[in-house]
Amino acid sequence: MGIDQDGRAALEAGMTLLSVRGVSKRFGGLTAVDNVSFDVTAGELVGLIGPNGSGKTTLLNILSGLAKPDSGEILLDGTPCHDLAPERLAQRGVMRMFQLTRVFRRMNVVDNLLVAGRALGLGADEALSRADALIAELRLDVVRHLDAGQLSGGQMKLLEFGVCFMVPPRIALLDEPFAAVHPTMKEIMGGFIRSRHGKGQTFILVSHDMPVVVELCPRAVCMNAGRVIIDASTREVLNDPRVIEAYLGGQAA
Amino acid sequence: MAPSSPTSPLAKTAGAQLAASKTTVEFRAALAAMAVVALIPLGVSNAYWLGVLIVSMYFAILAGGWNLLAGYTGQFSLAPATFAMIGAYTTGLLNHYYGVPPLLGIVAAVVVSGLIGLLLGRAVMRLVGPYLALTTLSFAEIMRLVASNSIDITRGDLGLGVAGLLNSRIGWYYLFLGALVVLLILFYLLLRSKAGLFLQAIRDDEVAARRAGVNVVFWKTAAFAMSAAASGFAGALYAHFAELVTPELGLIGQTGLIVSMTVIGGMGTLAGPLVAAFLVYVLSEWLRDVGGYQLVVFAALVIIFARFFREGLWGLTRTAVQRWRRA
Repeated sequence: MGIDQDGRAALEAGMTLLSVRGVSKRFGGLTAVDNVSFDVTAGELVGLIGPNGSGKTTLLNILSGLAKPDSGEILLDGTPCHDLAPERLAQRGVMRMFQLTRVFRRMNVVDNLLVAGRALGLGADEALSRADALIAELRLDVVRHLDAGQLSGGQMKLLEFGVCFMVPPRIALLDEPFAAVHPTMKEIMGGFIRSRHGKGQTFILVSHDMPVVVELCPRAVCMNAGRVIIDASTREVLNDPRVIEAYLGGQAA
Repeated sequence: MAPSSPTSPLAKTAGAQLAASKTTVEFRAALAAMAVVALIPLGVSNAYWLGVLIVSMYFAILAGGWNLLAGYTGQFSLAPATFAMIGAYTTGLLNHYYGVPPLLGIVAAVVVSGLIGLLLGRAVMRLVGPYLALTTLSFAEIMRLVASNSIDITRGDLGLGVAGLLNSRIGWYYLFLGALVVLLILFYLLLRSKAGLFLQAIRDDEVAARRAGVNVVFWKTAAFAMSAAASGFAGALYAHFAELVTPELGLIGQTGLIVSMTVIGGMGTLAGPLVAAFLVYVLSEWLRDVGGYQLVVFAALVIIFARFFREGLWGLTRTAVQRWRRA
């Protein structure tokens, strides 16, 4: 198979991979995402933070094709992609992990991984060997043949995380991967993200876990009430008074 | 202890037992059951009971086809008997009006019912649960009424006489059995391929399936078409066996039997619905003799199984075997 992640990453490093331009999404009277713009460069690991209800998940829904923006556009490798269905985006390399875990509950761990592998074009043997490698790396060996519905909450998250990397995505959109996850598993996922980022994998990471964001993400985008209030280095973002105000109440008008 | 520690013996045993692919175990069990069915005529020569078993095999094909759609793909259609009727009328009308030989008519029936299934599948693409069930039920009733009222063409409820295919009842018995085994093998190969993965993924979580890159529209439509083609095939065979096609083939009560068989046998299992087709149909013949309670009994059984035994008789059998092995 020809997906040489390292080679591709080296070739792309520094190029704009994803471009969000003036994207808005309204639900009735509520503007969930309000004229949001930012770029993600290939190989970047961007933290997306903000209080509950600030529009992070809605933005990820738009980026993964589950919702259509009311206005604005999204470019993947310079071509508009906001009209594509989720499965087309997955095939283009946009992989998304949900905040509320989504796995195939009546299929076993291996089959859960194989679905993504086969749907994204791997042959049977290669999909199986990729699944085996991921199962070993994410330490899911023991539950390998259990149905996903029988796993613990943390194991399910690890499995869904693994699904996103069956075929190395162009960009991985991770929505709260660490929420309510055992510290050991959190370490497994964190180590995985660090090692892939080291090899040039691009991420957007949504998290409320600030120490993790500080540790993993060099850059952070903070949203509040649907708007981007600051987009800078993570240190700068966390020390910004607007961010502190957004998190500690005092509804920014 | 880390939850993923590889030393937990309990988890390991549970994993190992499920390891020999569920589908393969079910396939072998289904083949064994068919081998038993193949031996029955050695002991039973009564034409009535052979007839009952032939009709059981007709229903086994229908239950298998519906199981592919409802059990594996999660699309609870209420039109399986309708596609059998469509298949029966396809070969019936071709034979009656144009003298098309039965074997060719059966092929045409598979194609026509598959195409209509494809169109229905596209039409109900975005519907789920009760909305899907009610829409397919309306389709079923409309098709049956069309067949029943187009008296000039179909002779309505009088039925359409069609040519036979074989003269011997034993011949029909083994023809149906052969058809059932071929379909079983085709379903097994399908479920072992990536299609099996995609269909079950769609059943479990359509959004997660799309996220994983599965072309949900294509595979849901394909499941509808394949299921309808299997039903149409059964209906066409039955038409030449009975030498008569009537709108009664598409009665909702027939679909009720198919649903009962699948739910009682175990939705989403390869062996369950096939075996349950025999149990339910033979039981229904017997219940008819003792006073027509079959519908009440099956309705109750379906509710009990759907509520308490989601994997049906197959699931119960598997649990029993596992306990026995552990003891």
